[in-house]
Amino acid sequence: MMIPFGHALAFAAALFILGLTCVLLRRQILMILIGVEIMLNAASLVFVAASAYWRQVDGQVFVILLMAITAAEVAVALAMVVYLWRRKRTLVADEFNGMHG
Amino acid sequence: MSTLATLPQFPWLSLLVLLPLAGALLCLLHSGRPAECRALALATSLAVFGVALYLFIYHGQGDGRWLLYEDSAWISRYGIRYVLAMDGIALLMVLLTAFMQLAAILLAWRVERQVAGFFALLLLLEAGLMGIFLAYDLVFFYLFWEVALIPMFFLISVWGGANRRRAALKFFLYTLVGSFCMLVAMIALYQIHGAQTGVYTFVIGELLHTQLTAAQEGWLFAGFLAAFIVKSPLVPFHTWLTDALTEAPAAGSLDLTGLLLKTGIYGLIRLAFPLFPNATAHFLPILGVLALVGLFHAAWSAYHQDDIKRLLAYSSISHLGLVVLGLAAWQLTAWEGSLLLMVTHGITTGALFILVALIRERTATRSMQELGGLWGQVPCLAFFFLFFSLASLGLPGLANFAGEILVLLGTFRAHPVWAVAALLGVVFAAAYMLRLVQGVIWGPARSERTLPDLTLREWLMLLPMALLVVWLGLYPAPFLAPLHGTVAVLLAGGLP
Amino acid sequence: MNDSLLFLIPLLPLFCAVINLLFGMRLPRLFAEVMAVTGVAGAFALTLLFWGHAEGDGSRAVLFTWLNSGTVDISFALNFDRLAAPMTLMVTGVATLIHLYAVGYMHEDDDYARFFALLNLFVFAMLAIVLADNLLVLFLGWEGVGLCSYGLIGFWYRKLENAKAGTKAFLVTRVGDVFLGIALLWLFALTGTLSINAINAQAAAISPGVVIVLSLLLLLGACGKSAQVPLMTWLADAMAGPTPVSALIHAATMVTAGVYLLCRFFPLVSLSAVAMTAITAIGAVTAIYAATCAMAQREIKRVLAYSTMSQVGYMFMAVGAGTVAGAMFHLLTHAFFKALLFMAAGCVIHLAGDENDIFKMGGLARRGPVELFWAFLAGAVCLAGLPLTGGFFSKDGILLALFTHPDPLYRVFWLIGVVTALLTAFYTFRLVYLVFAGDYRGTGHPHALPLLMRWPLWPLALLGLAGGLFNLPVFVGGGEALHHWYGTMAGREVAASHDVEWMLIGLAAAIAAAGWLAAHWRYRGYRPPLENPVSRFLLSGWQADALVDRLFVRPFTSMARFCSAGCDRALLDGTLDGLARLVSSWGRMLVQLTTGRLTTYLSAFAWGFLVLLGWFLLKLVNGGGH
Repeated sequence: MMIPFGHALAFAAALFILGLTCVLLRRQILMILIGVEIMLNAASLVFVAASAYWRQVDGQVFVILLMAITAAEVAVALAMVVYLWRRKRTLVADEFNGMHG
Repeated sequence: MSTLATLPQFPWLSLLVLLPLAGALLCLLHSGRPAECRALALATSLAVFGVALYLFIYHGQGDGRWLLYEDSAWISRYGIRYVLAMDGIALLMVLLTAFMQLAAILLAWRVERQVAGFFALLLLLEAGLMGIFLAYDLVFFYLFWEVALIPMFFLISVWGGANRRRAALKFFLYTLVGSFCMLVAMIALYQIHGAQTGVYTFVIGELLHTQLTAAQEGWLFAGFLAAFIVKSPLVPFHTWLTDALTEAPAAGSLDLTGLLLKTGIYGLIRLAFPLFPNATAHFLPILGVLALVGLFHAAWSAYHQDDIKRLLAYSSISHLGLVVLGLAAWQLTAWEGSLLLMVTHGITTGALFILVALIRERTATRSMQELGGLWGQVPCLAFFFLFFSLASLGLPGLANFAGEILVLLGTFRAHPVWAVAALLGVVFAAAYMLRLVQGVIWGPARSERTLPDLTLREWLMLLPMALLVVWLGLYPAPFLAPLHGTVAVLLAGGLP
Repeated sequence: MNDSLLFLIPLLPLFCAVINLLFGMRLPRLFAEVMAVTGVAGAFALTLLFWGHAEGDGSRAVLFTWLNSGTVDISFALNFDRLAAPMTLMVTGVATLIHLYAVGYMHEDDDYARFFALLNLFVFAMLAIVLADNLLVLFLGWEGVGLCSYGLIGFWYRKLENAKAGTKAFLVTRVGDVFLGIALLWLFALTGTLSINAINAQAAAISPGVVIVLSLLLLLGACGKSAQVPLMTWLADAMAGPTPVSALIHAATMVTAGVYLLCRFFPLVSLSAVAMTAITAIGAVTAIYAATCAMAQREIKRVLAYSTMSQVGYMFMAVGAGTVAGAMFHLLTHAFFKALLFMAAGCVIHLAGDENDIFKMGGLARRGPVELFWAFLAGAVCLAGLPLTGGFFSKDGILLALFTHPDPLYRVFWLIGVVTALLTAFYTFRLVYLVFAGDYRGTGHPHALPLLMRWPLWPLALLGLAGGLFNLPVFVGGGEALHHWYGTMAGREVAASHDVEWMLIGLAAAIAAAGWLAAHWRYRGYRPPLENPVSRFLLSGWQADALVDRLFVRPFTSMARFCSAGCDRALLDGTLDGLARLVSSWGRMLVQLTTGRLTTYLSAFAWGFLVLLGWFLLKLVNGGGH
């Protein structure tokens, strides 16, 4: 049975908003990163759904690419988180305001 | 256009521009080896001087046509051509540039920090100056205009005195604003000319015949003027110069006062006046008054200075006021006087800047409060200081007088009141120059230390200048000869 | 002989000057001295040799073109004519003697090379004035003598006052030069030439009003160099220089350049009665002004300096009265006796142990060599105008010309001349009495007088005393040789009956005697200087320096301060700095937005995204309406 395309879109949107809320409201860098991951997954979901809907394989290919990139991104991001923790012994994002003008 | 353009000939003019560029590159390649950089820079500037001297000797008799002309396509899509042209005025300026550059290189001999960069910048500056004096295409001209600006900015901001950053920024902003106005006017002129004739070109000689309405001409003229008046500099756009000259390293001050200031006046003669004859005719009286205001203002201000370098900066402004006055008189004799004065001022004031640097090296001060009695301590140096000061205040028989008296004789015919006022300025010139001399070389010696007198390298800088000052003062004919024809053509509203 | 060899006359001293300037300190002292003297003596000999060339219309020599541009074509050209020849002879002759004297005077100074170089250079520049064929060469010499005067007044540069006196002399004379410069420019614009003879020939064609202005400009130019009112303040201070300099430059030659200039342009100047009156008036005012100042001076050289101004005033009066011959006659005799007086004063200062104050001298007739007293006295009687001396005849000629002038105003000038003569006799003998009579009042130790400082006095004393023979008036049996030599250049023929001439000559003799008697009565026994406001006023030269300071120097310096500190620093730089501050304060405001916090950026990003989304949605909805 097919899940209707609209349902998949609605679910992805909800997931995206959840992720965005997480990014906007949490102060912990780790939580912000998790929020970003959720948003990315929401986007992936849309790709997959659209791929199934239009019977085109491109979307799924793109999702696999996205997974690989996400993995790399997470690796870099976590490395930086470790570095930040070493510098200030905290992971509250607002403590890192070195770019202040 | 000259028939010379069709003749195949050795590209002397390109050589004048490219030699210093090549020298600059070679200097950078040898960075870290100061001795080689010095030798390279000296060799390059000697070669350039040799070329300039050759051109002066074999092409120094002008009948008002181009002496040399090189033309080849460059960016043909926009009608930008590689055109270099030399008339009598350009010849004189090229010769002056090559000569002063030799002195500048010798003066920079003792620079310790980042030698390669310093000499590369000096040579780049020379290339830019040569380009300004020779370019006959607006884009080309603008390019070199900026090429000459950037090395000077770095010379001041890296090797300058205590307030170098501020002075360099001020210099940069002033001249940049001016040259942007010029760029806009250039492009507008290009478009107007293209729309009229269907020929899109930046070559100056072809733009000459553009039909402009009075308003267009006024605005375009103003755009060009902005660049040239700031560079000249006329009061009230002169305060960048006093700061820049005071803060610049010795060789930089020498190039700035001896050469870079001349580009503004050269631009007036080469571009602004011929391209916009009607606007020029309206503007000349204002220019004359501005020149007089500058002459007096700077002379008075000079009297009040304690830093001798700043005093000389003001004296430069005052002298250039006289040069511009001669141009504003629009009279053959006055123009030739002005052009001669540009050369002589470059040499005399340049020599004084060299001497200030030498004094600074020995006494570690430039304040008249702390100087004095140098005649007893370093007689040769003091003698040169006195000599060039006298030349600068216009003593007959020395170089500046020849230019000044021609300016005055010519100006008096056209505008007697201007000439009389300018003559009064001569007293003020004597006042500040004698105050300078009195403060620096007369009086009791300020320290017991024995100071070293001139070294061989310093003699090599000053002696040729002194001889040239005497020569120009007593027999300026060879230097006036290339001017006669060119000036007559320019005054008639044309180009060679 | 070839005319172009005339150039040797000025170039010989120039050559020696250059050699001395460049290599003087490396040459043996004797060589430098001998070269300096022979350079000038050679010029003197050459002048004698060329004397014949001056007759008739004179001869002209062109060296090469100096400036040419358009209609301007100016050469280095000399003109050796009847006006120039006696002046050349005087300049080179007196300069030779003064050079000899200077060798003695400077024998203890180590800086001899600079001294002789400048002195030779001065002779060159002075000869350039005298021999100039065109105004520009004259101007070259004109500025050249100013330069040498500047360098020599401040010769002992370690004392800043000396350097300042030099600067003052240069600047004040430069003010006069401006007027000469204006005249030069104007004459060129009018006549298209700078040749002096050509200008004089065309003078009649110039409109009378312009001639008046031109003559007044020339007059002001002459005033600067000749230290006449109102440009007289520099001469007294110029006495800071070595004494040979005062003798050569500030007595015999340079200060008379103004007179020579007016004589050169006499055909032009004499066209305007107004200008002639102005010249006479300036001369008269200076003559009496300087004479009054001289009466109260305490320094021997300042007395002589003021007397020089006063005597040059007489020469101006002579030009104004129309007699070039009279002016040149007095110029020549004055050069002899004033150079003599200065050189003798130099000996006196030596003997008094470098003391300048005449009230600290006295008794030098017995202390010093007696010949010095006689030499000084010879100069003094010439200056005072005692009968039969050179000064007597030349001064009398001027007074006669003033008296016989048709314009009644000139009687006033004549009267001023007579009063000045009285004052002159008085202060001259005051000097003689204070210096030579009575007992020694000073404390200094006398220096030995080198031989070279003594014997150059004698030829000058002889020339001064017998100078009258050059131009002896007809009624005492003379031939007016100088007048005849000048011929057409001599100016007005002074015609008067012999009775008038005898009367005037008697009056002049009586006045000189009266001045002497007054000085005899006042200073026979020593009396200390008067300390009252009048004498202080006279001592300070009528407070002229203070006046100049208030009228010109202070406004100038405050103007300088205004231009530099007020206009450039405060106004222009201030405005620019204000602009810069404005821009950077905007920048500081905007920079507040950059908190550096990740969360701020993220929420800003999200809200911006939402706003964009909303806008697109709105557009979609509106677009759907179509």
